[in-house]
Amino acid sequence: MSLLHVERVGGLAGFGGPGAHVRSRGQLDPDDLSAEERHAVEVLFKTRGRAKGAQTPDAFHYRISRTTAAGTETVEVPESAVPTALVRCVKDELV
Amino acid sequence: MKNAPGFACGRVSSGSRRDRLAPRARPPRCDCRCFIIPTDVLERMAKDKKLTPEERKPFVDTMKVEKEWRKARVALSKLSHLVRTVLPAAPAAAAPAAPAVTVFDCAHGTTLPGSPVPNPGTAPDAVAKRAFTETQAVADFYQTCFGRNSVDDAGMTLMSSIHYSINYNNAFWNGTQMTYGDGDGNIFIDFTKGNDVIAHELTHGVTQYSARLSYTNQAGGLNESVSDVFGSMFRQWQADQDVTGADWLIGSDIMGPGATARGFTCLRDLSNPAAKHCLAPQPTKFSQYRDGLDPHFSSGIPNFAFYKAAMAIGGKSWEKAGKIWYQALTGFPPSPNMRMSAFAKRTRSLAASMFPTEPAVRTAVDKAWTAVGL
Ligand SMILES: [Zn+2]
Repeated sequence: MSLLHVERVGGLAGFGGPGAHVRSRGQLDPDDLSAEERHAVEVLFKTRGRAKGAQTPDAFHYRISRTTAAGTETVEVPESAVPTALVRCVKDELV
Repeated sequence: MKNAPGFACGRVSSGSRRDRLAPRARPPRCDCRCFIIPTDVLERMAKDKKLTPEERKPFVDTMKVEKEWRKARVALSKLSHLVRTVLPAAPAAAAPAAPAVTVFDCAHGTTLPGSPVPNPGTAPDAVAKRAFTETQAVADFYQTCFGRNSVDDAGMTLMSSIHYSINYNNAFWNGTQMTYGDGDGNIFIDFTKGNDVIAHELTHGVTQYSARLSYTNQAGGLNESVSDVFGSMFRQWQADQDVTGADWLIGSDIMGPGATARGFTCLRDLSNPAAKHCLAPQPTKFSQYRDGLDPHFSSGIPNFAFYKAAMAIGGKSWEKAGKIWYQALTGFPPSPNMRMSAFAKRTRSLAASMFPTEPAVRTAVDKAWTAVGL
């Protein structure tokens, strides 16, 4: 299976916003996830990230992308819905 | 799914004395990482046929809890207003008790709220002490300058969790409490070090209990802006600065050595939102706005308008411009989808009605919005 590309956005500092000098990105191999985490990721894509409507001021959101035979798909979900392994794979950096 | 989705972990205070939690008086644990999902989203997820019954169950359960919790919050707010209306003399005789302030330690985990910090005002942990002291000061600021009793204007306990996660570069308000990360020590340092950051987060609570601005599009930009505006105003109030002595920066005290080495001195600058020294520069004109922007970006437009109004009025920002913005935020029925032009119109009107003998105030507010294209 293709790599999962993860970007953490938002937060008090506006990570990943237009012109922002702070970004947080990472990637991981789904095969490195536990069965439970893989299932949680599947649910996120299956529900098309509908939890995006969460309105928690200054909370991070995660943009998760993967490429399958059907093409590249991306979901954006609140941090609270993201499996820990994905949260840990991103690295904050100045750009 | 590992985390229960959409759980609003509300907690009703059982007392009003500050710093009152005994070491063992731990509240019920919330094993989720708390956040709020709008009811319509919860409802969709609860009925989503693509999900298995097991996957749908947390959404169904959450809807039940959320419904009751929303009712409780409305009832508490109504009761508070009723008491003040029916018994004007009795409460007026004594100033309302300051809201209780509690601090919890996540010990680098992500379970909220964490363990209670006993007597945080004298805690050996400087972070706990600072979260306590500055939260009290923000409550004092809202009471003294605007007559507001805590974020809900009904004495709600102000709860903070510190040491959230590991190297966590963020602070947030989750609908119930503040949460602070320690920073990674490079881009950011401990988020409780910013008094404007603490006031910013608490102001999200004020917005939640007043205008209830949503967190997307124009209302989202306004939501973020009022948090920055009152965050900066609190910083000025604490330092007893007038508008010319203020730095108008947001987050200048939480910038880490890596960020400052690159010339970044703040997250945002109300006096110059697009400046190079901002870690996240912002637009200054409404013509740059488009739907879907991060509210931390679009907030630059109303931020700049507030700065311009306060500077033109002069003196202490919280005495005139701040009072107008506060009334615009809290003095009307909730308007979750408010547009920036509507907020501008409201402040223009309030400037005239609140300061009828000072036409310069109305002119200052009017010109400030016009300058940003609203
Ligand atoms: Zn905010």
